[in-house]
Amino acid sequence: MEFLGSASDALCIAQARRRQVYDDNSMYKSKNLHAERRRRQKLGDRLLALRSLMNKATIVEDAITYIQMLQRNVKVLSDQLLEIDSLSVEEDEKPTRDEINASEQMKKYGIKEDVKVTGIDGNKLWIRVVFEKKRGGIAKFLEALTSLGFELTDANVATSKGAILVSSCFKGIYGNALGVEQTKKLLQEIIRNM
Amino acid sequence: MYEEPGCFNPNKSMAERTDSGAFQKQFEENMKLSADELSYYHHNHQEDAAVSAMELEFQKHLAFNVKNGDDDPNELLSNDHFNWNAGGIGINQDDPQQNGHRSFDINSLPQTPDLLNLFHLPRYSLLPNSSISFTNSNHDTTPLGFIGELPASDSTSVWYDPLFHLNLPPQPPLPPLLSLSEGGANPLFGDERDSSGVTSYQDGDGGMLEFTRDTACIVRGSETGKMTKPSTTERQKREHFGTKFTVLRNLVPKPTKPDRASILGDAIEYIKQLLSTVNELKLLLERKRCGIERSKRHKTEDDAEGDVDSCNIRPLDDPEQYYNGSVRSSWLQRKSKDTEVDVRVIDDEVTIKLFQRKKIDCLLLVSEVLDELQLDLHHVAGGQIGNYYSFLFNTKIHEGSSVYAGAIANKVIEVMDREYAAVPPTSSY
Repeated sequence: MEFLGSASDALCIAQARRRQVYDDNSMYKSKNLHAERRRRQKLGDRLLALRSLMNKATIVEDAITYIQMLQRNVKVLSDQLLEIDSLSVEEDEKPTRDEINASEQMKKYGIKEDVKVTGIDGNKLWIRVVFEKKRGGIAKFLEALTSLGFELTDANVATSKGAILVSSCFKGIYGNALGVEQTKKLLQEIIRNM
Repeated sequence: MYEEPGCFNPNKSMAERTDSGAFQKQFEENMKLSADELSYYHHNHQEDAAVSAMELEFQKHLAFNVKNGDDDPNELLSNDHFNWNAGGIGINQDDPQQNGHRSFDINSLPQTPDLLNLFHLPRYSLLPNSSISFTNSNHDTTPLGFIGELPASDSTSVWYDPLFHLNLPPQPPLPPLLSLSEGGANPLFGDERDSSGVTSYQDGDGGMLEFTRDTACIVRGSETGKMTKPSTTERQKREHFGTKFTVLRNLVPKPTKPDRASILGDAIEYIKQLLSTVNELKLLLERKRCGIERSKRHKTEDDAEGDVDSCNIRPLDDPEQYYNGSVRSSWLQRKSKDTEVDVRVIDDEVTIKLFQRKKIDCLLLVSEVLDELQLDLHHVAGGQIGNYYSFLFNTKIHEGSSVYAGAIANKVIEVMDREYAAVPPTSSY
């Protein structure tokens, strides 16, 4: 409210300045401005005083009421959002459009699906995989790995030009270790099935 | 109200005079107690009500002494002094009951001279009133009998008298007390103490206030006697206040500690979160509606120009609204026991930082969550640092998704916590 007050204040002041030069009525306008400002200040002060008068119990009660009101607002607004979402039908076209774009882009930039595996540091492997971007592609990839008993540690995933690059350490969850070649084949299989 | 003692006066004057000495001794004892307690409680925030009650009692005792024996103007002055102390302490105090009490103090101050005169009339004139207000068995007893009971009943009724006198005149303070009637708890002072003489003072005060306010309230409660009834209402008041806190705690989604201060802190945080969520939702709705109108325009290029124009022009005219309406930005952090989430939303890009303490396959979990929320993962970076796992997710909101920062943070934390609960923490390997 104070913001509004000051905005209209500024407006009134600007107008008042312009008119004061020309018009006698401007006196009344600036008086009006003062009166308005004083009225707003009086209101603000009284609100502050009222808030200071509140005692423990009423403060807590008011907080409870306010929280409930806010919760209701959130619910109403999110319901409205869901309603609007359910009404809109354009979403069906979009996913396919994205996917077409992804493979096209990859071709355009000469990015190919790729799997590289190296052994590092004992049992650990380091992998570098490039595959086509899809909706939920990363999740699917990770899911496949997890289901086979592997996981990525210290992972980096980057997306660009319709392709996803995953570079990460690769480890077996249960301590199982695969050789480099086996891992490479496994990953290629996963990508192909995606 | 002044008339009431008056009507009882002729009957009781004899009774009062005879027993005044005995009660005065009690008064003095209790005064000593209350003096000690006064100094102790004076600095205790929570005990202010007790202090005020005690001070009121003190003053009344002094008034009694003045009236009964000494007629010492100095004591009268100390009455005023104590009265003012009570009033001064009580100004910034919490419970409405206490406030009411304090206003009572201040209001009753000017009346002390008059009341002293009234005191010449049998002070037990009030006792029948008290027995009327409290439906105790004493009601049927003669004033003398009632008086006789006083020492046995821990001298509660003794305090009742002077208090009642003092409470008679100030009708105006009733409204603040009335505000409490919704709770049903009648205004009493402070915290309950054990069955010390001081406690009985407070109980007496409460009883008197009840009487002045609402006899119905007084009738409610124990019927055994004045002693228990004020304590039950005090307890009721305190319990009611405590229940409000528990209600607040139940409203707040994640209460960390059950103590009142942290409940309040959590409530404050929650209110802020709710406010930002409401703002975001409003913004989203706004953009959705504009977006829908725009897309309608793309589909049917004939009409809907007007709609789109109105939608687009509005932001352009007003520079501030344009900025707010077209770029959504919000930032929030949420914490749970083992997880910290930092979510930043700028227009349609969401940056999520995840920081957690135990070993969980968060990559998979979070990417699944993001898919659910229709967020396209663009970049992920992170790994293990010591015992902690830190990840940064850069995502883009899929077209048409109406997700807001609060929902994202909540979902992520929920999934993390669920996973923690499901998988007992194993040593990292």
